[in-house]
Amino acid sequence: MNSLLRTCQTPFRPAQREACTSERSLNGTRRIGWSIRSGVGRWRRLMVSATMGTESGLQKGIAEFYDESSGIWEDIWGDHMHHGFYDPNLLASVSDHRSAQIRMIEEALSFAGISEDLLKRPKSLVDVGCGIGGSSRYLARKFGAQCQGITLSPIQAQRAQALAASQGLADSVSFQVADALEQPFPDGQFDLVWSMESGEHMPDKTKFVSELARVAAPGATIILVTWCHRDLSPSEESLKPDEKKLLNKICDAYYLPAWCSTADYVKLLQSLSLQDIKAADWSEYVAPFWPAVIRSALTWKGFTSLFRTGWKTIKGALAMPLMMEGYNKNLIKFAIITCRKPE
Amino acid sequence: MRLLTDYMLSSNIKGVTNGFPLRLEVEKSVEKEVDFNADFLKNMFPKIEWKALVDAFRSMGYTELPNEAESPMLDSKEFLKKFHHALLQLHLEEGALICPETGRRFPVSKGIPNMLLHEDEVFDEVYQIESQF
Repeated sequence: MNSLLRTCQTPFRPAQREACTSERSLNGTRRIGWSIRSGVGRWRRLMVSATMGTESGLQKGIAEFYDESSGIWEDIWGDHMHHGFYDPNLLASVSDHRSAQIRMIEEALSFAGISEDLLKRPKSLVDVGCGIGGSSRYLARKFGAQCQGITLSPIQAQRAQALAASQGLADSVSFQVADALEQPFPDGQFDLVWSMESGEHMPDKTKFVSELARVAAPGATIILVTWCHRDLSPSEESLKPDEKKLLNKICDAYYLPAWCSTADYVKLLQSLSLQDIKAADWSEYVAPFWPAVIRSALTWKGFTSLFRTGWKTIKGALAMPLMMEGYNKNLIKFAIITCRKPE
Repeated sequence: MRLLTDYMLSSNIKGVTNGFPLRLEVEKSVEKEVDFNADFLKNMFPKIEWKALVDAFRSMGYTELPNEAESPMLDSKEFLKKFHHALLQLHLEEGALICPETGRRFPVSKGIPNMLLHEDEVFDEVYQIESQF
């Protein structure tokens, strides 16, 4: 398999990009490396690797990855496609993982200060990158709210809707195939804007965050839980070469076009004048997750199921140890960032 | 896809200033039973542009509701039942949502709308592909 090493493109809009440096890749073809740093810069052309191709190529890749793999995930792990939240240093058994995934949702709501009070609770919410709708259905049920979910994967949207219908939630939750960078909603629609582990797929973090803010109603809360790389120190222009190399391999397997740091997200939210911005590193609370996923893939059921899916899913499974390596090296961070749109 | 959902979507094609509400093109619709909730309907009513919703109802072949509606009508159980039926029980299974300004069709298949924009419908920088072959 001709796995192309690439530089994950800079995730920022031109106004926030720094100067680029070009470097020769291993096979001598010129590719552009970007340093990821916030700050006002000139308009530039974004360079995207050949494997990701255009943005529509990336969208297609993401959609196909999830069309192919969602079924096997649901079979083994259930309808929540995100990390569990665990007590540090506690050995988690197989049955703990489902409740850990629920706990992740509750901890995120608590961190953001979402009220359960009947008058103050969110009444309309959007699940950006909804998967098969686990969060959508959970939140709609919890708050008695209307929820819209968007995903690039038609298979996921169908499955999400079917699960909603079977759980008596068809009148509260709806799913659409749509792009998080071009959300199909008018401005100011939602009391709660929820993005649980989808930010990693966004090629343009500025546009992504702008859309989250745009569809949020005045006074609404935005909750963003996503994979980031470590914050750069003041003296650093970019990640170290071996760090970039590891992230590139992971990008390839999971259709992640760009990584940025938690600090980058905070700066983006600040630039949009969002308030009460809070961020935390939850890496220690998700540590048992990847080993557990790897173990599930190595069971007879997991193993045979993988071979019935396709190459994209298998490639994703093979990349799981890379995620563990990233966490162990303190390169990958599991971040939560929340804020409020001004009234 | 319920009409309520249709009402919450908009067309964000570049240059479009009036992408809401989307019109309906109905190829196949179904009726689904949904629990009646008067409070929910009364809360939704003030947020809705009635004229736009009536156009959607009529596209689905439902003509039981008037062209105009005022809030005192919410006191009528009969009105509420019809409103409930149209907003929540009529589902578009196959067809399209139409951008009111450009006429662009967003297909609806098995009740799921596909709102993805084509590349030329999006404001963005030019993406170049650097081939490594």
